[in-house]
Amino acid sequence: MPSLKNGNSKPAYWRSMDQLADTDDFRQFVEKEFPGEAGQLDSPVTRRSFLTVMGASMALAGLTGCRKPVEHIVPYVSQPEDAVIGKPQFYATVMPRGTAPLGVVVETHEGRPTKIEGNELHPSSLGSSDLLALGSMLNMYDPDRSKRNLQNGAIKTWDDFVGWWQEHEAALAENRGEGFALLSESFASPTLNRLRSEFLKKYPRARWIAYDPISEENRDRGLAAATGSVQQPVYQFEDAEIILSLESDFLQGEEESVKHSRAFAAGRRVMKPEDTMNRLYVVESGQSTTGSMADHRLRMPAGRIAAFTAALALELEKKGLSIAGSDALAPYASHNFDRTWLEAVADDLLHHRGKSLVTAGRRQPAGVHALVYAINDALGNHGHTIRYRSREDVLGSDSAALKQLVDEMKGGQVGTLVMLGGNPVYNAPADLDFAGALKGVDVSVHLSEFVDETSKKVTWHLTRTHFLEMWGDARATDGSVSVIQPMIDPLYGSHSEIELVALMVSGEPVRGHDAVQETWMGRYLRGEGERGWRRVLHDGILANSGEQGGAPRVNARGVSSLLRDEPFSTDEPTRDNLEFVFASSYTLYDGRYANNGWLVEAPDPISKMSWSNAALLSKKTADDLGVKEREALILSANGVDIELPVYVVPGHADNSITLEMGWGRKGFGRVADGHGADIFPMRTSAGVDFALGGKATGTGRKLEIANTQDHGSMEGREIIREATLDTYRKHPKFAKEMVHVPDLKSLWKDWTWSEGYQWGMAIDLNVCTGCNACVIACQSENNVPVVGKDPVRNGREMHWMRLDRYFVGTIEDGRMVNQPMMCQHCEMAPCEQVCPVNATSHDNEGLNVMTYNRCIGTRYCSNNCPYKVRRFNFFNYTNKLPELIQMAQNPDVTVRSRGVMEKCTFCTQRINAGKYQAKAEGREVRDGEVKTACQQACPTNAISFGNINDPKSEVSSWKKNSRNYGVLEEFNTRPRTTYLARLHNPNPKLGDPVFDTEFVPHGGGHGEGHGSNGHGGNDHGAEAGH
Amino acid sequence: MSATTSNASVRSTEPLVWGNPSFHDVTQTVSGIVEERKTPIWWWVAISISGALTLNFFAMMAYLFWTGIGVWGNNVPVGWGWPIVNFVFWVGIGHAGTLISAVLFLLRQKWRTSINRFAEAMTIFAVICALIFPGIHVGRIWVAYFMFPIPNQMAMWPNFRSALMWDVFAVGTYFTASFLFWYTGLVPDWATLRDRAQTKWRRLIYGVLAMGWRNGNKQWKHYELAYLLLAGISTPLVLSVHSVVSTDFATSMQFGWHTTIFPPYFVAGAIFSGFGMVMTLAILARIVYPPVKNYMTVTTLERMAKVIMLTGMMVGYAYITEFFMAYYSGNKYEQFVFVNRMFGPYAWAYWIMFSCNVIIPQIFWSKKMRTSIPVLFVASIFVNIGMWFERFVIVITMHRDFLPSSWGMFKPTIYDIGIFAGSFGLFFTLFLLFLRFVPMIAMSEIKGVLPQAQVKHHHGHDEGGA
Repeated sequence: MPSLKNGNSKPAYWRSMDQLADTDDFRQFVEKEFPGEAGQLDSPVTRRSFLTVMGASMALAGLTGCRKPVEHIVPYVSQPEDAVIGKPQFYATVMPRGTAPLGVVVETHEGRPTKIEGNELHPSSLGSSDLLALGSMLNMYDPDRSKRNLQNGAIKTWDDFVGWWQEHEAALAENRGEGFALLSESFASPTLNRLRSEFLKKYPRARWIAYDPISEENRDRGLAAATGSVQQPVYQFEDAEIILSLESDFLQGEEESVKHSRAFAAGRRVMKPEDTMNRLYVVESGQSTTGSMADHRLRMPAGRIAAFTAALALELEKKGLSIAGSDALAPYASHNFDRTWLEAVADDLLHHRGKSLVTAGRRQPAGVHALVYAINDALGNHGHTIRYRSREDVLGSDSAALKQLVDEMKGGQVGTLVMLGGNPVYNAPADLDFAGALKGVDVSVHLSEFVDETSKKVTWHLTRTHFLEMWGDARATDGSVSVIQPMIDPLYGSHSEIELVALMVSGEPVRGHDAVQETWMGRYLRGEGERGWRRVLHDGILANSGEQGGAPRVNARGVSSLLRDEPFSTDEPTRDNLEFVFASSYTLYDGRYANNGWLVEAPDPISKMSWSNAALLSKKTADDLGVKEREALILSANGVDIELPVYVVPGHADNSITLEMGWGRKGFGRVADGHGADIFPMRTSAGVDFALGGKATGTGRKLEIANTQDHGSMEGREIIREATLDTYRKHPKFAKEMVHVPDLKSLWKDWTWSEGYQWGMAIDLNVCTGCNACVIACQSENNVPVVGKDPVRNGREMHWMRLDRYFVGTIEDGRMVNQPMMCQHCEMAPCEQVCPVNATSHDNEGLNVMTYNRCIGTRYCSNNCPYKVRRFNFFNYTNKLPELIQMAQNPDVTVRSRGVMEKCTFCTQRINAGKYQAKAEGREVRDGEVKTACQQACPTNAISFGNINDPKSEVSSWKKNSRNYGVLEEFNTRPRTTYLARLHNPNPKLGDPVFDTEFVPHGGGHGEGHGSNGHGGNDHGAEAGH
Repeated sequence: MSATTSNASVRSTEPLVWGNPSFHDVTQTVSGIVEERKTPIWWWVAISISGALTLNFFAMMAYLFWTGIGVWGNNVPVGWGWPIVNFVFWVGIGHAGTLISAVLFLLRQKWRTSINRFAEAMTIFAVICALIFPGIHVGRIWVAYFMFPIPNQMAMWPNFRSALMWDVFAVGTYFTASFLFWYTGLVPDWATLRDRAQTKWRRLIYGVLAMGWRNGNKQWKHYELAYLLLAGISTPLVLSVHSVVSTDFATSMQFGWHTTIFPPYFVAGAIFSGFGMVMTLAILARIVYPPVKNYMTVTTLERMAKVIMLTGMMVGYAYITEFFMAYYSGNKYEQFVFVNRMFGPYAWAYWIMFSCNVIIPQIFWSKKMRTSIPVLFVASIFVNIGMWFERFVIVITMHRDFLPSSWGMFKPTIYDIGIFAGSFGLFFTLFLLFLRFVPMIAMSEIKGVLPQAQVKHHHGHDEGGA
């Protein structure tokens, strides 16, 4: 803090905090409050001293630059016409994420956003959302967010920066931007793109490139080779009868997963035996959400999938298909892939020309994407199940350009580097040594939401707005454009990338709103003016701005030259030459959500682990390495050693280890720091997606891991009931026939449940992908606390809803199945009978309700709950919540204190809101009017909720379905939540090891044993488990 | 009242009291312990240890109330951990007292007289320890009174369908009855101490406690009747308390809990553990107060060993029946629970339980073992260990229930251990105070079984004291 010493000794008026900070009082205060630390004030600024000064000066002067929203919101001097205190308002906006933004609707209470939902009008969302979108709200309220602009660590105001920039800019403009580079994240935004061209006009010699550690770069390059230009695919999964995913996790991990989940579910939903369903083949290294839905799943190291694709193309050619660019495939003709599998898939694709779809994952090299384009083209799928648009307003990630930029930085050719978001010091390929290169840059500016790894190494750190605080716009993958509107004033006076670029372009501060409006009034709303603007804001999308797309001609030469220039690897990983797969985290993405309690504690859909990453590997690999479950494994690659716990995943490819990004942070935030290990140091330009040459050695030491589910086997119990489509057609009631439910009686007089609303839920396991969106939706809606790593390890997680994940099959080649599990609202609830104080009881609408005030916390109800869905407040989890996070809570839901039990309420607050509305309008609640939070979030519409007393309601029709069954209903619990059994659609040529025996319905006699002869004999018996 | 032949024969072959003491000797020996001026060193040592544990008990409870019951290892699925294990353990121990004083009294088992006071005191202290646990195990102790049917403006009323409610009444009643029974038996002895008191304070305190006892014939008549009635009232309680406690488990729907065998099995187990504890304490008392050896004779201990063996076999039979029924039911959930108990992650606890409760008592087939004090002492400790583990096995059964997704493990924390140890501290502190200030052997009753009291040979039972 250099200015501490330089300021006037006794300023009559202080202008900056630095001047104020130099008063004697302040020094004494610091000495008293932080003994031994005051000396740091004179030393070069450390993060610690910065915080000290900030904390102390705020306490001393009551001066806060922080504008808490309460100041703006309460009280209304005059109440706005449409605002009713206590009633939430909903605003549409868009969550920008790379090249595929997601349309959302945000629930705000008295001006503070509390919940994110999907926007039904937006093509990427169709009303649903996902784990990351739902969780991203908490990022805005993160108390560890960057609160100040910093110049070399010293606090500066935005005006200081503007002043600095205006001085600095002159030189840049003079030499036309020579040595000026701008590094952003990939984006799809008309305004940002307009500003980009203006920027490049003003600084013709400057460069603006984008980099993201997780991107569609491989696909972009592949499609560019195959078609001549970068294309944006627009998939129509709903029309695809046969889908082959080449490590494409299109249901969760990849771009537009919400939209794709909805479309995939549409092709998979079966309501009557006559219905058809799609068939999904998945080839992948690790387990994924998409893999869990596969009818046939082939595990294979990620690096082998390219050669597999080539082999498939050759197989298709052999069967008479002509594939563009196949002349380059000769080297892959001999291979050791499962020929039966290959042939069966090829035949299936050939029999479904125009109705099939092959899709490659973002980790697969460009050549695979080009080849997949050619295959889809040859199969006639283009224009049917997949279309393409040429991209506009989009800047994609380009790692080659990043490498070039870094080289120039190291060579001292970059004088000014501006980074719009991103965190390249943390996540750029390790061999680039971005942090080192940054030293060769004279002036660097980083706009960031956190004082992250990059921010600590730059000249200027500028605090960046969260998307709920900013104006902006976005273009969806189908071309539709939307406006991003703020829900709240920036909490910390942050600025958006649009505002920063606009400043750099115009030399004057420009409000984000004005910049966006300028774009829109000029391009989309010409002649419509304010009315059109308001409509766009209201809808969250410009109507009819999307396009269907077409299918550009395949450029055979482009495909083959790419295949020749970048030949596929044919190396197989071995025990001593392991393949490391660098996977994006389902919960932290690339690490940007590392300080987000909801997401850090959200169990990974595959490993069910929270609070850490792990080395996910197969049983055989673990045995080969001589390591046991949870043993600390030292992984070495790129000269770096990291330590992670072993986690055996049935169905993982051998000699391949999946490592998740985003963990192992230091100095990032109170939630993020110290959990898991950072894998980015292992990730080099040569292998950003996966790399051979990894080594792993066991240590014999066990690491504690916090997972919400320890046991992966169903133990032969009929919990998730499944059958093949064939069996279903022969035995439509197979799910019910699997278990004999005797005619059970009640101990007391039965309630008839025949009057008024009777709430019930049904969950279609056939379309549930296990993505966990519902879990976070529930957490956000119901103020479910985050408890921390140790409590989770001790089985004290508070999630009202969980995704039970079981493995079926062998430990080597296990298949993953999922089941959402929450309070089943049993009509004969075991919990209610044992509560000594009547704290949990039934209401006349069939809800199992908790009276928190009455609960004394005997936990008898939890003991007696066969579903174990009750959650107990072992401590007071809410009293120490930072004030900011308290603002993220839903005021319609009671915050629970210590010592009481809680559980799913079927979103009783939403039921009541629906009933009030209906009563005010003098009608009954309409079917579908009340949606639970989980139901609303679900991308596949797997959850139906409503009045089961209304025979016409959707949930009633689901419950009448022959696949409907209640978990553990043979114990007379009479659950109000029931499940529709899962179906499989295996290729008869391949059969299905799990379903290869004939279904034998349950004998029916009570004496014959309950369900011991379920489907396929004891097919769950030989299960993989932990 | 006619004494059974076997009783008569037992009495004729073995004197109940050794050393042929006179009535005065009895008074002298028993009161002497209480009246001894100088408190023995061992007593101070023992009470400082148990007192320290007790203080720790209260300190840990204070911390528990301050922070929440999360300081324990309980979780989901194991909602009840050590507190409920300890509760059932202590209630079980509390069974021997009533059984010895009431049931054996009604059955005319004269040998009970030397240990009944002792056993009743133990019962009361064990029930005090037991009662603490359900109180502190709830999440919100400050509203634990919601369990009581107190009319209130909040229109709350307990749920009488819940076995926890039955517990409240069963254990409460048991404590009240046991205390009254114990106190009633003490009245003549209080009077003896009052009459022998050397100091004013002693006379005053014991005088108040003696409630005006004058050794009058009428008083004895009322006393006898009251004692008989209380014995009659307490007898069903012996069966009811642990039966009701067992319904906490048996009325739930968890397999491993939901079995009709639980009530008798729990009662047998309770008697088993209670006798184990009385045995431990009696042997300790014999060591620290050698004169007591003539009253708590090896023969008495041998008889207790027989009861331990019998109830141990009942418990073993219950274990086997449970297992057989699980197999026979054909219910795979139930079968799994029992297989998991025997071979799952907590199999060690199961086998500790099984060895201590079923195998070890089998040594008592041998008279040599039954009459060896060291063997009896070690075996009685094992019985207590085994019975604690029985409750642990039952409570921890939850860790793998219906849905494998929610399976988990239970690990006790330092607070679980500290509070459990603390309950022993409290128990022994109370017991040491009892030894020091209360006649540990019912003087008036023991006199009734001395040969001198039997001169007339008309009536076998105790018609009066000296």
